Amino acid sequence: MKLHEYQAKALFREFDIPTPQGELADTVEAAVNSGEHIGWPVAFKAQVLRGGRGKAGLVKIVQTPEEARTAAQAIFASDWKVRKILVEPAIAHERELYVSFSADSRTGTHLLLASAEGGVEIEDLARTAPEKILKKRIDSIRGIMPYQARSAAYDLGLAPSLAKGFASIIEKLYRLYVQKDCELAEINPLFVTPEGNFIAADAKISIDDNALFRHPEFEQDPADFDSDIAREAAVEGIPYLQFDGDISLMCAGAGLTTAVYDLVADFGGTVANYLEFGGPNYRKSVRAMELCIKNNPKVILIVTFGTIARADIMAEGIVEAIRRLKPNCPIVTCIRGTGEDKAREILLSAGLEPLTDTEEAVKKAVELAHIAYSTATERPTPAAASRQGGQP
Amino acid sequence: MSILVDQNTRAIVMGATGTEGTFWTEHMVNLGTHIIAAVTPGKEGEHVGDIPVYHSVRRALDSRAPDTQAIDTRGPVDAPADAAMLFVPPRFTKDAVFECLDAGIKLIVTVADGIPLHDALQIRSAALSCQAKVIGGNTSGIISPGKAMLGMFPYWIERVYKPGRIGVMTRSGSLTNEVTAMVVRAGFGVSTLVGVGGDPVPGMRFSEVLAEFEHDPETDAVVMIGELGGTMEEETAEMLESGAFSKPLVAFIGGRHAPKDRRMGHAGAIVSGGKGGALDKMRALEKAGALTAERASQVGILLAEALKSSSQGAASANSDRSSLSADSARGDSTRDRRYE
Repeated sequence: MKLHEYQAKALFREFDIPTPQGELADTVEAAVNSGEHIGWPVAFKAQVLRGGRGKAGLVKIVQTPEEARTAAQAIFASDWKVRKILVEPAIAHERELYVSFSADSRTGTHLLLASAEGGVEIEDLARTAPEKILKKRIDSIRGIMPYQARSAAYDLGLAPSLAKGFASIIEKLYRLYVQKDCELAEINPLFVTPEGNFIAADAKISIDDNALFRHPEFEQDPADFDSDIAREAAVEGIPYLQFDGDISLMCAGAGLTTAVYDLVADFGGTVANYLEFGGPNYRKSVRAMELCIKNNPKVILIVTFGTIARADIMAEGIVEAIRRLKPNCPIVTCIRGTGEDKAREILLSAGLEPLTDTEEAVKKAVELAHIAYSTATERPTPAAASRQGGQP
Repeated sequence: MSILVDQNTRAIVMGATGTEGTFWTEHMVNLGTHIIAAVTPGKEGEHVGDIPVYHSVRRALDSRAPDTQAIDTRGPVDAPADAAMLFVPPRFTKDAVFECLDAGIKLIVTVADGIPLHDALQIRSAALSCQAKVIGGNTSGIISPGKAMLGMFPYWIERVYKPGRIGVMTRSGSLTNEVTAMVVRAGFGVSTLVGVGGDPVPGMRFSEVLAEFEHDPETDAVVMIGELGGTMEEETAEMLESGAFSKPLVAFIGGRHAPKDRRMGHAGAIVSGGKGGALDKMRALEKAGALTAERASQVGILLAEALKSSSQGAASANSDRSSLSADSARGDSTRDRRYE
């Protein structure tokens, strides 16, 4: 779960990491007022979760109320669906540093990255000047030792007067990263002011979704989802991704769903949504189909090869879902795995054609999506779809 | 032979008293897995089938004296258990793994889906320092078809779980059934199937499983079922390049069309910072000499090709096929027994 900059900075303050004293504005008027209140010049920073807001012109330094009004209007009017602007005093600074913590899966350690040349994307720096990035592995069981933070500062060539402060920021950020179960905690840039103080000018924090059970303080803002359907799926605990194509994927197993996604693209189709109802969700066929139908797909494609997720239970659920929801688009089923013989009978008795080959099922779904376009006025019913598929 | 688990493995099961745990413990036993004890705090004295339940791993090991009569292929039996199967919820998995490690168990399989990232790092770190192997989480486990399993596999589906000489390692569950069915359709069978799991920090990595397959005389080639995200596939490419793995490798990588910065189902399946794309992985593997399949249906064909072109490949492939009839007969009898 990614946090907005303003949320991440609130956490910074909680962990005693200095940040600019900003204000949050959700209208043009409020943004201009905040500027007046803080004192010009100020920075307007759009609060969005996607990367690349700087390049998109969503971060602006404004000098006057007039300039501020124009900038705020432009930011709110952009197609990034900006709802909040963080207004901060423009901070005079002499240097920009970089520091972050993330996971190193190969060694089972935390990874401290630091650089004396912050302010640019760390991936870009890694490509152009990897020698400028300092990496230190932090034992995940023992935690960070003060010497590690200290030597990071000295290894970057900081003067003793600055090194102490930087080491302290590193240790505080580590504490936040561990206590809040972060996937990533990053300060970029970390400003050094002319007085030699440190201020976190930006903040990027991503919380591990699997650890949210021990952090009730984090709650996903409904407005941060791709769509209302994505939000409903999240509430249900069903992995879901929103796309805007024709075929609704209702598959079991993440790996298989991803492979089906690839095949749809290979065979010239487009995906309306990625929905995975395997594992703990295999009894939720009705709910899963309900979510798919909300996309008005041309076809619902169901592919499973379950182990724990029993085929017969899923087949029963699908038949029940069709009975209750009466989808007006064709449904292609390819259900295999534990209990597949019984599943086959259940699907047949409901008039569905139980396919057994994934590629065949995907090809058929793509074909049906194309047919739906050519006969756009009348959508085929599931029974009609089966006939088109060559069912006697 | 096979790797990691076989008929000589003596395992304990944590969480066997739950619904899923009981169901799959019975299946592990049916397949031939030697389960010596179950562990559920608070339930000592109960039984799962014939298996006695203990409060703790230590109590289970202390109560089950080593079977001094048993001699397995690795020498005399000196410990009551050498493996642990965990049906423990994700939030308690770290504790359970550490309990097993502290009791000296060197092979631990955890199927938990949703282990916190920092817990997974500590599990990996502890396993490395104890020289133990932790498989998972977010996996179906390990199976050596016809011999034993620590996990949850529908081994009675014989078009997937056929004994043979191909090693399979995978980050996925359902996709594994799909791909392995193609391996079997092409006339091969499986020596051991290892699910390393779909998490960003698996306890055991592809490269480490590959090292086991390299040393298994009964594995002729390996099928790797990878996907976008992380660097595990690139690490196996490095092993091919350095010669650390010398058998044929066929790889299927999911997520060729996956959009950037979107998590495709598994926690570990995400391209971030421009790294971990499926196509990049395929290119690295091809460059190192692996055969890559764009679609599951091609895996069997590529495997046959790889085995034919490798020097002793032709002979092994033949023996694989001829041994199949005997193996499948055994598979049938196991299946029938289960359905009684």
